Amino acid sequence: MTQLVLGQVLNGSIIGAMYGIIALGITLTFGITGIVNFALGEFMMIGAYATYALAERGGLPYPVAVIPACLIAAAAGYLSNKAFFRFTRNNLVNGLLVSIGLISIFESASMLLWTATPVEMHFVLPGALRVGDIGLPKMKLVVFAVIVIVIVVTYLGLARTWLGRAAFAYAQNPEAAMLMGVHTPRLETAVMLYSTGLAGLGGALYASLYSLEPAMGGVYVLKGMEAAILGGIGSLMGSLWGGVILGVIEGVGSIFLPTAFRDAYGLAVLVAILLFRPSGLFGDE
Amino acid sequence: MALEVRGLTKRFAGLVAVADVSFLVQPGEIVGIIGPNGSGKTTLLSMMAGLLSPTSGKVLWKGREIQELRPDIIAGLGVVKTFQNPQVFAELSVFDNVRVASHLALKRALGFRRGLEIVGAARGVEERLAARVGEVLALCNLGEAADQLAGNLSYGEEKMLGIAMALMCEPELLLLDEPASGLGRDEIRNLEAVLDKVHRAGTTLCLVDHKIGFLRGLAHRVIALNYGQKIAEGSPEQVLNEPAVIEAYLGAGHARA
Amino acid sequence: MTGQALLWGVLYALPIFVRGDFLLTIFIFTFIYAILAVTFDLIFGFTGQLSMFHPAVFGVSAYMTYLLATNCKLPFWIATLPSAAAAVVLALIVGSICFKFRLKTFYFAVVTLAFSEMIRLFVMNWNSVTNGTLGLVVAAKPTIYWPGSGIVPIKGPIAWYYLTLVCLSLTVLVCARCLRSWMGRCFGAIRLNEDLARTLGINVFRYKLLSFAVGNALASFAGGLYGYYTGYIDPGYLGINQSMEVLAMVLLGGQGTLIGPIVGSLVLTGLPHAIDLRAEIRAILYGAILIFTILVMPRGIVGTLNAWRAKRGA
Repeated sequence: MTQLVLGQVLNGSIIGAMYGIIALGITLTFGITGIVNFALGEFMMIGAYATYALAERGGLPYPVAVIPACLIAAAAGYLSNKAFFRFTRNNLVNGLLVSIGLISIFESASMLLWTATPVEMHFVLPGALRVGDIGLPKMKLVVFAVIVIVIVVTYLGLARTWLGRAAFAYAQNPEAAMLMGVHTPRLETAVMLYSTGLAGLGGALYASLYSLEPAMGGVYVLKGMEAAILGGIGSLMGSLWGGVILGVIEGVGSIFLPTAFRDAYGLAVLVAILLFRPSGLFGDE
Repeated sequence: MALEVRGLTKRFAGLVAVADVSFLVQPGEIVGIIGPNGSGKTTLLSMMAGLLSPTSGKVLWKGREIQELRPDIIAGLGVVKTFQNPQVFAELSVFDNVRVASHLALKRALGFRRGLEIVGAARGVEERLAARVGEVLALCNLGEAADQLAGNLSYGEEKMLGIAMALMCEPELLLLDEPASGLGRDEIRNLEAVLDKVHRAGTTLCLVDHKIGFLRGLAHRVIALNYGQKIAEGSPEQVLNEPAVIEAYLGAGHARA
Repeated sequence: MTGQALLWGVLYALPIFVRGDFLLTIFIFTFIYAILAVTFDLIFGFTGQLSMFHPAVFGVSAYMTYLLATNCKLPFWIATLPSAAAAVVLALIVGSICFKFRLKTFYFAVVTLAFSEMIRLFVMNWNSVTNGTLGLVVAAKPTIYWPGSGIVPIKGPIAWYYLTLVCLSLTVLVCARCLRSWMGRCFGAIRLNEDLARTLGINVFRYKLLSFAVGNALASFAGGLYGYYTGYIDPGYLGINQSMEVLAMVLLGGQGTLIGPIVGSLVLTGLPHAIDLRAEIRAILYGAILIFTILVMPRGIVGTLNAWRAKRGA
C-alpha cells in the first residue's frame, strides 16, 4: 500500500509540477504583461514533440535534444506574442479567445504532422532506485530534480536579480518602471520567451516519461489554469505549489475513488476555491 | 422622521473612515454634509445607500433597518444615490439610459404582471413610462441630448444624466455624492435649479459636497464631518461659523496638501 | 430591418430553388447550431456573461430527450420538455452558485467550464444509462401532426430543413421579445455597468440567472434535434470544442445581435463543408477566424455592418 501511495505521490508531484510550470507561466505572463496566455500548454506540446523528433527521429541523445526543443517552443512563443498576444493586453476575454484560437491551430497542425496516434520515446534512463521496500523509477527522479532546480532558479531569478525586480516594478506601475529605465517591450518579450521556453522544457521532460499526443496541450492548459487559480493568480510560487497540490490530489484521489473521475477532483476543488477563497490558497485578498 | 443614521461606524483594516455618526433627516428637508477630503463623507453616503456594510451602527428608513440590505432593494424602498464620478451606460443613448432607470417604476406599475410587457400586452404602461422619461430629461435640461450616446456627453452632462436616472427611480430620498464637483458656474446654476424643482416636488435631499458656497445656498441643515466624526450640526450659518469646522478646513487643508 | 426580412425570406424559400440533399443538410446543421449560437449570445453578447456551459445542456438534453422518448414511450416533442426543464434546473444550480459569489467574467467562464466538464465526465461514465463512450444510436424520428395525413414522421432533408428552420425562428422570436422588453434592458444594463444597474433598483443576481436559465433552456432543444437528426449521441456533445465552435460563430457573426450568430453559423458550418476540408484544416480555420475576428473585427460581420450603416446616417 505504501508503495502505491508513495508512487502516486511521486507521480502526482511530477505531473503536478508540470501543471505548476504551466500555471507559473500563465501567472507570470499575466502579472507582468497583463496578457492572458492560455495556449501555454501548446508550447509544452511543441517542446515535447520537438524533443521526440530530435531524439527519436534525428538520433540526438536526449539531453542534447532538450535544448533546441526549448528554443523552438520559445521561438513559437515569441512569434505568437508578436503577432497576436500583445494586442490583448489587460483584456482577459480577448486573451482567452485568442488562446482558444491558437490552441485549435497548434493542435490541428500537430495532428497533421504526427496524427492522433500517441508516440513514445524509448526509455531514456531505465531502471528504478530502491529505497528500502519501495522502487522509484530513476527517470522520474531525474525529472523531478530538474523541475525542482528550475523552480529554485526561477524563484531566485525573480527575487534576486535586477530583471526580476524590474519585472515586479513594471507589474505594479508600468509608467514608473519605464521612467526608471526598464525597457518595457523588451521585458514583455523576455517574459514571453521565458514562459514558453519553460513550457517547452516541461514538454521535453514529459516526453521522456509519457506518451505524447496532439491534444496534450489542451488538457494541460485546463489543469494549469486550475493550478494557477488554486495557488492564487497573484502569487507566482503559489501557482507552482497549486500545480503540485493539484497533481497530488488527483494522483492520490484516484487510488481511493474511480479513476474515471480523476479530472473531476481537481475541478471540484477549483470550484470550491473560486467560491470561497477567490484569491487562491497563497494569493493576497 | 424619514431617515435615521444611528452610531454608524466604518473601519477599513485599521483605518476608521466613519466614527459613530448619528443624525436625522426629516421628510422634505435638504441636508448637506460637509467636510474636508477624507473626512468620510462618501463612505457615509455609501453606507446609507447599501453599497457598503457598516462595521457597526444602523441606518433606519421609515423605522426599518436598511444597512444590510442590497442596494437595489434600498432603491426600491425609495432611497437612491448618485455617484461622484458619474456612472452612465456609455453605449446607450441618453434616452435609453433613463429608460433603463424606469425599471423600478415599471415594477411598481405592473408588479408580477410585467411579464405582460414581453408579449406586448402592456402598451399603456410602456407609453406612460416613455413619456415620463421625456419629462425627466426635460426637467434636467437634457431633452436635446436625448439621442446622443451617453459616452459622448460632457462631464457636466454626464453628472446631470446620473441625476436624471436617479430621479426616474422616483426616490423619496435622493442622496447626492458631490453633485457640484467638476462643474462650471453655469452648470452649477443649472444643477441648483434642477434640485430646487425636485425638492419642491416633494423629494427629500441629502447632499455631500465640499463646495461650501453651493451648500450654503441650498441646504436647510448642515452636518460637518472631520476624520469620520460629526463635529457640528445646525443651520448653514451656525455650522460654517463654528471654530471646530473652520479649524478642520484650514488645519486639515495644510495636512492634506 | 429589411436585411433581416430578406434573410428570413431567402431561408424559407430556399428549398424551392435548391434541391441538392447535400446543400440542404448543411443548412440543417447550420440551423441547429444557430439555435445554440443565438441562445449563447443571449447570455454572452447581451448580458455580458461568458458561459462555457452550453455543451453540458446540449449533451444532457440530447441524451434525455432520446432516453425519455424511448423508455417512456413519449413522442419527441413531449420528451423535449423535461429535457428543457432539466436544463433549467442545471442552469439554476450552476448559475446561482456563480452569481451568488459574484464571479467576474473570466472566473465565471472557468467555473462554468469546470461544471460542464464534470457533467461530461459523469455522462461519459454512467455506462448503464448512457452507454458511455460508445454512445447511443437513435433510430426513431420526431413526428408532427400534419393536417390531412395525421401523425407524420419527419423524414428526408426537406422536412428536416423546415423543422429546424421553424425551431430556429421560434428561438429567435422568443429571444427577441425578451430582449425588447424590460428584461432586455436589464440584461444590457448588467453588461454595461453592473454596479450602476444595482443602484437603479435592478436585482442583478436575478436577471443574470434569468438570462442564464432562458439561454440554456432554449439551447436544450438543439440537443434533442441534433441527436435525432444525426441518429447518434455520444459524450462528445459535451466537449469543450462545442463551446469553441459556438463562441467562434457568435464572435464572427457579431455578438450582441440576434442575426449575427445565425450568420456566423452559416459561415462556419457551411463554408468548411462547401469547400471540402479535412477536419484538422477546419479546426485550424476555426482558430484563425477566432483570432482574426477578435483582433481585427471585434464586432463581427453583422456588428460591423450595423456600425457602417449607422455612420452613413441610415
